[in-house]
Amino acid sequence: MLTPRQNLMETIKGGNPDRFVNQYEYLDIIMEASIMIGDMPMFPGNMGKDAWGVTWNWPEGQLGGFPMHDDEHKVLKDITEWKKYLKKPIIPTADEVWAPAIAHAKAVDRNEKFVTTFFAPGLFEMMHHLMGMEDALMNFYEEPEAMHELIDYIVDYELEFAKIVIDKIHPDALFHHDDWGSQISTFLAPKMFEEFFLPGYKKLYGFYKANGVELIVHHSDSFAATLVPYMIEMDMDIWQGVMNTNNIPELIAEYGGKISFMGGLHSGEIDFPEWTPEICAEYVEKACKTNGKKYYIPCLTSGLPMSSFPGVYEEVTRQIDKMSKELF
Amino acid sequence: MSKIEEVKALVEAGKSKKIAAAVQEALDAGDKAQDILDAMVASMSVVGDKFSAGEIFVPEMLIAAKSMSKGVEVLKPVMAGDTSNSLGTCIMGTVAGDLHDIGKNLVVMMLESAGFDMIDLGVDVPAEKFVEAIKENKNVVLVACSGLLTTTMPALKEAVQTVKAAFPDMKVIVGGAPVTPEYAAEIGADGYAPDAGSAAVKAKELVA
Repeated sequence: MLTPRQNLMETIKGGNPDRFVNQYEYLDIIMEASIMIGDMPMFPGNMGKDAWGVTWNWPEGQLGGFPMHDDEHKVLKDITEWKKYLKKPIIPTADEVWAPAIAHAKAVDRNEKFVTTFFAPGLFEMMHHLMGMEDALMNFYEEPEAMHELIDYIVDYELEFAKIVIDKIHPDALFHHDDWGSQISTFLAPKMFEEFFLPGYKKLYGFYKANGVELIVHHSDSFAATLVPYMIEMDMDIWQGVMNTNNIPELIAEYGGKISFMGGLHSGEIDFPEWTPEICAEYVEKACKTNGKKYYIPCLTSGLPMSSFPGVYEEVTRQIDKMSKELF
Repeated sequence: MSKIEEVKALVEAGKSKKIAAAVQEALDAGDKAQDILDAMVASMSVVGDKFSAGEIFVPEMLIAAKSMSKGVEVLKPVMAGDTSNSLGTCIMGTVAGDLHDIGKNLVVMMLESAGFDMIDLGVDVPAEKFVEAIKENKNVVLVACSGLLTTTMPALKEAVQTVKAAFPDMKVIVGGAPVTPEYAAEIGADGYAPDAGSAAVKAKELVA
């Protein structure tokens, strides 16, 4: 039996996997290395600022936190003055800060799993966290030079972090978040995405790859089929969060071998208060049978190995195992 | 190109920094304020259709709406007191328990551009607040409810049914990622739109 890591490589290289890669099983995410979250709330009922000064509110009863953009909380009210208001957070390098991450990474059997560093939010998300979605989207047209400068500044910060995390834990994989669309469309026209974000991502993912990181997994639980050529160009190996609105079988037929697709199990349809094992089974069977064994990893679209409602993630895992027994 | 055509083109291209001057020039050249407004509404309708067809994206729609809004600012003093061009008031909000506002904001802009007077109740709006807003505002012809989460779909249903219980003839339109035309019909809504562009088309249809 192949290890989760070996099985993943067989799946994404079009070799001979001996079962479905089961959700996030091949990644051992070193969350202790996510030291730059500041006081961002991790649980409902909390409010706090992240490392860039963005205030987050996670009200009770909600599935996640929201950046606040009223006049009192918006970090960048005028993009042309970003240099006045924004300072890169200082990334600590002290051994004691990194000790838990280093210990976790050392405990991982790298033949079994990829030691994985996690990074969020990505470049596009940073833009709308800092200034609000409407301002961000309009500024790509109205103040393109300032937007380019700001993106370059954030790329530099991400590279600083990359250098340190590579030095500290020698990751085999990067799991990077940046949502690029809604369920039915990308936020930006592909050409605009290419102009503003492709260069930065090429730099970032290129740097990780040049420094021992074998696998780049990127989360965007959205439509983004029209961006796949850019994903390939930036050296992404796996697009996690891919929704069925992208027509996954078509993407696999067109791009399999250059990139793989992880998702197809919509959290909104499966992970909700009235969930049942039967619902999980139905969607998992459909996803596995429709998308096939190569270049596809059945997974909830959620951006971490977890579900919003207890038991869903585990049930989906069980159902994927069942499909492996049936189809392999 | 006539001045009015220039205004139309500037709205469609989202040239918000040039629109005010162009509208003023059109007025100075003798074009009627109503005709200029109609031209801008027509432009936004084209923008909405292109968005629905996937030819343009949210940034293009936002800058077009911003341009129209700046153009309208120039027309306002000229048209003061003239309400004949209004399609009526629309109350809009994201339903209780849901804090998503991007889609809702886009719909507000598109409906405003189509000629509705918009009252934006914001996010996490309890069902009763929609009813209060109908009572508090003049000439309300439409209620628009948005919901992004599967978990807040029951709140969408409650909002529609609460409005319908208090104002049986009030038209209600719903939308949001998990909403389908079937679900909209099931909960008693009069209309459904999958995106902001078609929301403007559907809203006009409902109040016609």
